[in-house]
Amino acid sequence: MMRTALLLLASALAAGAADQATIEKGQKEEQRTCLPCHSLRIIHTNRLSRAGWSKELDKMAGWGTKYTDRDALLEYLVATYGDDKPVTPPEMSADGRTKQ
Amino acid sequence: MQSNRRQVFAALLAAAAARKVKGADTPAVPGKRPMILHNDRPEDLETPVKYFDSWVTPIDAFFVRQHLPRPAAVDPAAYRLNLTGLVSKPLQVSLADLQNLPQHTLPATLECTGNGRAFYTPKLPGIQWGRGAVGNAEWSGPRLSDVLKLAGVDPAARFLEIDGADTGVMQTPDFVRSMPMEKALHPATLLALKMNGQSPDIHGFPARLIVPGWDGTSWVKWVVRLAPVAKESGGFFMNPGYRYPKYHLPPGTAARPVELEVIEGMPVKSTLTAPEDGSKAVLGPIVIRGFAWAGENAVERVEVSIDGGARWRNAQLSAQKLPFAWRLFTLNWTPQEPGYYTVMSRATDTAGRVQPIVPPWNPSGYLWNGIDRVGVTVEKA
Repeated sequence: MMRTALLLLASALAAGAADQATIEKGQKEEQRTCLPCHSLRIIHTNRLSRAGWSKELDKMAGWGTKYTDRDALLEYLVATYGDDKPVTPPEMSADGRTKQ
Repeated sequence: MQSNRRQVFAALLAAAAARKVKGADTPAVPGKRPMILHNDRPEDLETPVKYFDSWVTPIDAFFVRQHLPRPAAVDPAAYRLNLTGLVSKPLQVSLADLQNLPQHTLPATLECTGNGRAFYTPKLPGIQWGRGAVGNAEWSGPRLSDVLKLAGVDPAARFLEIDGADTGVMQTPDFVRSMPMEKALHPATLLALKMNGQSPDIHGFPARLIVPGWDGTSWVKWVVRLAPVAKESGGFFMNPGYRYPKYHLPPGTAARPVELEVIEGMPVKSTLTAPEDGSKAVLGPIVIRGFAWAGENAVERVEVSIDGGARWRNAQLSAQKLPFAWRLFTLNWTPQEPGYYTVMSRATDTAGRVQPIVPPWNPSGYLWNGIDRVGVTVEKA
């Protein structure tokens, strides 16, 4: 039991370390490909499975997004905003009323 | 599902607390109070439930859903509405022409089709709306039927196609919708030039469609073209967008595309506004408040439970029992003992529809209308 847990932990750490560079590349790809059309809040409040994120990337490709590193972007989204990640609250906007 | 809701509510409270600390670095949306910021470009803003304290929702607190960037500012003198398609004479109509038609005012509740999406499990892509993508306003303008009469509708027209001035970035599809001519010609369907007596501003200045009782997506903003057509429009926002499965699906499964239907009228629903979820109250009289609405119907009854749904009591309803517009409800409650209470609300409409415990999961997370619930801890004085 203990040994299995340790093995799982080790493999998770290894996977995490191996993915770090990819995740950073994915984050850059997000800046490059998503920001021209919309801000990132609408992405970062979602929590989706790998299949779910992949479908979203396909939808955006259909709407004109040209990926240079789709795989890295997908890895980054799954690692950061996967459906196993806790929900983070949306921020409140600042007061936009004109001061009287 | 319930723990999911708890998480979302807790998250929203945390967001409110975080705002106090963070302050200036979050964007402001002109004309709006601090709102739950799902997105800032384009703007997707949710009303915090605590702002809902009146029958008419003020514009500065009204939710905003933008699919596409807001169109460039419109010069009222230069604005033209194109009447094309199956009409006797194609026509360009000015704002003054619209203002010269008989004006009507209608109170109606506008709800985003995806309000409550965050409560579905498994999770769905899209804006993670909680309970505040809804509002009730007084909309004024000419009847859509009077506008269409200016050009004369060909009897062969079965649908009305509507286009707003907003356009997509790159190849993002244009926001074009259609609705059956019968609804377009309904006397309550308006082309609103005013919202609560003011300019609709971000809510669709200078002309916004009012499709009472139907989902928010039907209420096209910045209307610049009306075209009676023979067939339903086929753009993304009609198909596959904004469709709902004809038959309920096991959660997490795909629908057969042929079994997806355009959403029209909205379900019956209620939302508790007080006490606030997760709040504390002193042992003594407590007023439970909220609002309830029912698409094209009126609300008949709202029941409230303070024991997690074991027993239900009828709440007091505001007097005006109108189709299309929400009713406020209150229940005076004096808990006898301290402790944690689960307060719930359940609406029934004039057609006998009742809010379910479990709304059907659907692949786009539309039409959440589960019995509402909040938790309150009552403490000895």
